[in-house]
Amino acid sequence: MARKLDLELFRRSVPAEVKLVLLGLICIVFLVIDANSRVLDPVRHGLNVALYPFQRVVLLPRDAVTLVQDYTNAARLLREESEDLRRQRIELAQVVTNAAQLLTENEQLRRLLGVVDQRSAHPTVVVEVLYEPVTAYRRRLVFNKGSQEGIAPGMPVIDEGGVVGQVIRVTPFSAEAAILTDEQLAIPVQLLRNGLRLIAFGSTVPGKIEVRYFSSDADIRVGDALVTSGVGGGFPAGLSVATVQSVERDAASGFARALAEPTAYPERYRHFLVLKVPMQDMSEAQPVKTDGIAAEVTDAPR
Amino acid sequence: MRRGNGSELGSNSLLRTQGMGADSRDVHTDAWVVWGSIFVVFLLALLPWRLTPWAPDLLVLVIAFWVVHEGGKVGLLTGFILGLLIDAHDAGPLGQHALTYVLVCYGAVVLRRRLLRFNLWRQAMHMMPIFVLSWSVTQMLTAWLMGTWPGWSWLASAVLTSVLWVPIGWMLLLPGNRLAAMNSQID
Repeated sequence: MARKLDLELFRRSVPAEVKLVLLGLICIVFLVIDANSRVLDPVRHGLNVALYPFQRVVLLPRDAVTLVQDYTNAARLLREESEDLRRQRIELAQVVTNAAQLLTENEQLRRLLGVVDQRSAHPTVVVEVLYEPVTAYRRRLVFNKGSQEGIAPGMPVIDEGGVVGQVIRVTPFSAEAAILTDEQLAIPVQLLRNGLRLIAFGSTVPGKIEVRYFSSDADIRVGDALVTSGVGGGFPAGLSVATVQSVERDAASGFARALAEPTAYPERYRHFLVLKVPMQDMSEAQPVKTDGIAAEVTDAPR
Repeated sequence: MRRGNGSELGSNSLLRTQGMGADSRDVHTDAWVVWGSIFVVFLLALLPWRLTPWAPDLLVLVIAFWVVHEGGKVGLLTGFILGLLIDAHDAGPLGQHALTYVLVCYGAVVLRRRLLRFNLWRQAMHMMPIFVLSWSVTQMLTAWLMGTWPGWSWLASAVLTSVLWVPIGWMLLLPGNRLAAMNSQID
């Protein structure tokens, strides 16, 4: 077989130029479509499902190392954690007594005003970071659980500090989340001090988020806490998001811009919590073009 | 595909005309080694060491190396498929790596005949402009589409990739060289 091929005088395969034009065109078409819409998500989904076994196999040594480390450090970690918890318990004791009193008082007042209590606890899933994707354009994390565990696109991801991000894509076994500093993400927020409703976007400044599109005379100061407003329903109200670090007021345009530091630590831990908020309309949530930036705005009408 | 057929080679040596001029060293690598090395480097590419901004792209290096040395087995389509897989893994713009890999493979196909006459150092020098050009085309296109410039770390990555052509190429040629040495002993 091999010897016959050796005597072949003429090349009979497709010329490289033809392949270059064909494959190059496919790549460019993919790039253009992917930058503007989510039509290619099924392709990505297929590729990710195909990749999943390889990703798991490759990460086996790392998982083994962390397992051994956790095992050997278990005693020390437990001691540290128990000290922390003891301190927290004492600190929280005062808050709790106060809170219980406030809660009953709040309920009484709500009944008095006839306000229906909408707040309900959402079921959660603990997820672990599978890997951090390498890309210069987006801030993403890939988790080790997917739609089989009930995770759906649009669900918020939190840690002990507050909002970490939002699930963007899921496969049966993994979920890709945009960290709140990702430029494609937009979160409806509220100032804790005065209730001013705003929208926070990922920013080009690394590790910061940006609050845009509010008038330059708005009452927002350095040090203000931003929490989710619950507008739109994607994020439940009252989750801590960020602390305002600087405010730039532009008298010429009449608009201001604020930079804020996230309160969560997406780069620090391996475990996060996905809140299973009901997601009826989220499948229809398309990226919305705002000022040249595709923002996956989560406030679909419901 | 010439493994373990030393005696056949001896009797058919008159028919062995394909090595004339093109591949003067007449070194051939087993298909298992070619695809096995690509597979191993692909698995390596899934690991987090690539988070370093100037990390070399070993996958495209190995693919391009085999396009040059075993052009009949590996080609542009290999680069395209593996590039797409890496794009999906990286959650970046779909087609970014695929386009880079296809361009690099095409450059390797064009320079193939010339490169095979040189040693690995000279091959690396010839491949450097191909890597840099392919990377810059893709980076400019994606930067334009995404609206942000990702910085210049990719340039260091492209240069480092071409420098690594020498040690990695030497390693990849080891099995083929050994086979060639065995065959020459039999001849």
